[in-house]
Amino acid sequence: MGEKILQVNHLSKSFGANVVLRDIDFTVSQGDVTTIIGASGSGKSTLLRCINLLETPTSGEILFHDRSVTGKGVKASAYRTKVGMVFQSFNLFDNMTVLENCMVGQTKVLRKNKEEARENAMKYLEKVGMAPYINARPRQLSGGQKQRVAIARALAMEPELLLFDEPTSALDPEMVGEVLSVMRDLAREGMTMIVVTHEMAFARDVSNHVVFMSEGVICEEGTPEAVFEHPQQVRTQEFLSRFLNG
Amino acid sequence: MNQIAQLGADIAKLWSRYASSYLSGVRNTLVLALVATIIGCIIGFICGVLNTIPHAKTDNPIKRFILALIRVIVRVYVEVFRGTPMVLQAVFVYYGLPYFTGGAMQFKNVWLAAILVVSINTGAYMAETVRGGILSIDPGQTEGAKAIGMNHFQTMLHVILPQALRNIMPQIGNNFIINVKDTSVMFIISFTDFFAAHRGAVGATYLYFPSATIEMAGYLCMTLIASFLLRRWEKKLDGDDSYALATSDQLATTSGMMNHPGKGSNFDERNLEYTEGGDR
Repeated sequence: MGEKILQVNHLSKSFGANVVLRDIDFTVSQGDVTTIIGASGSGKSTLLRCINLLETPTSGEILFHDRSVTGKGVKASAYRTKVGMVFQSFNLFDNMTVLENCMVGQTKVLRKNKEEARENAMKYLEKVGMAPYINARPRQLSGGQKQRVAIARALAMEPELLLFDEPTSALDPEMVGEVLSVMRDLAREGMTMIVVTHEMAFARDVSNHVVFMSEGVICEEGTPEAVFEHPQQVRTQEFLSRFLNG
Repeated sequence: MNQIAQLGADIAKLWSRYASSYLSGVRNTLVLALVATIIGCIIGFICGVLNTIPHAKTDNPIKRFILALIRVIVRVYVEVFRGTPMVLQAVFVYYGLPYFTGGAMQFKNVWLAAILVVSINTGAYMAETVRGGILSIDPGQTEGAKAIGMNHFQTMLHVILPQALRNIMPQIGNNFIINVKDTSVMFIISFTDFFAAHRGAVGATYLYFPSATIEMAGYLCMTLIASFLLRRWEKKLDGDDSYALATSDQLATTSGMMNHPGKGSNFDERNLEYTEGGDR
């Protein structure tokens, strides 16, 4: 795989006395599609939110291109322009149309001019199949459509790394597919992604690295074949058997 | 029946003599209420934003001190101006300035004093309203904005405040209507609003009830028109219920509510993953 982009070292996070993440280590290289799986409450989402600095890690460090982003004096907002995030609940801006949602970050944060931002936004809206809906407002869209716009919004910032926090968990079953197929396309084009998901087929077929988390630690990780076909840990085996047979 | 005819005659008499006074009163009242509500809203928004700057225990002590100081100042301002009658605030400000400067400075223009007092008063109420409006916005909106690299100021300006503004529109309308009526206390600093026209007219004619009838009808007209316009504005802020589909396909529907299952893109509804069974 390519150059190392993100490195998480000894990351821990607790909310008061409640320890959510314990001593997490992992690395993401250029072009990696990493999926993080595990039961609810195992700390998957918190890990992803720590990576985007939406939560402040209690200890440990996060290196982006070998430079710490958790240390003092680091502008979180500048870092976040390079690390996009797609949320479970979409979080599209309700006061803007689809097109404005995809333009605002470019014009206000990256300071691109309107024309360029619009062109770029259209490119990505086209990619996720939402170009016909540029004049719609989020409340007028279905869940799957909203999530595809949210993906286009993140892509329009042209991030080096894209984080997905259970992007299909809030969707009706018939809308899961449209979002997953967009994500598959992205993976195929070499986008570096970290995906927290309960979609085991996606983890198995699309990702090249699977991380299984349990009770705030990385219990097992490796290639999809290794984790899904030959899980070493008892907890992984139990989790997978529940998922694949249930 | 007789009394009604008498009332009509008295009103006609008052109107023929004092129409210009009443009308300029209406104008002054509306201008004062409008300007003061707008400035008050701006004050309220500034206070609301200052009050909601995020602060963490890990921030450096200077930043924490400044933020704490700002919150105390805003709090004192809100409590003082919300907790005292506006008629007294007018006297306090209008006569306070010459008193403290030994007559060197005073309000040359009663407009300035009136706008100042009503704005500050409105701002005190709006500060709390705006704070409530900001708190009412889903935290996900803030996270979405942060995730594309916006700082606190940008998040507020482009994402949170426009939505908060929509949510507090009814309250802004309330404030405007309250201001239309309550600016009547500005007679205390001899501001010539609609109510002052009444005082002038009855001072000469003693026609208290007929003049009060004109005033009642006048104030009600102003507030009803204001309510109507505010509702129109709210609707406009909500945007259209439908939207135009941007498509070059001549046969496709060009507008629609929600999505049309047969149209749209190749990812919609009948996409590959779902029809092939996928993983569900």
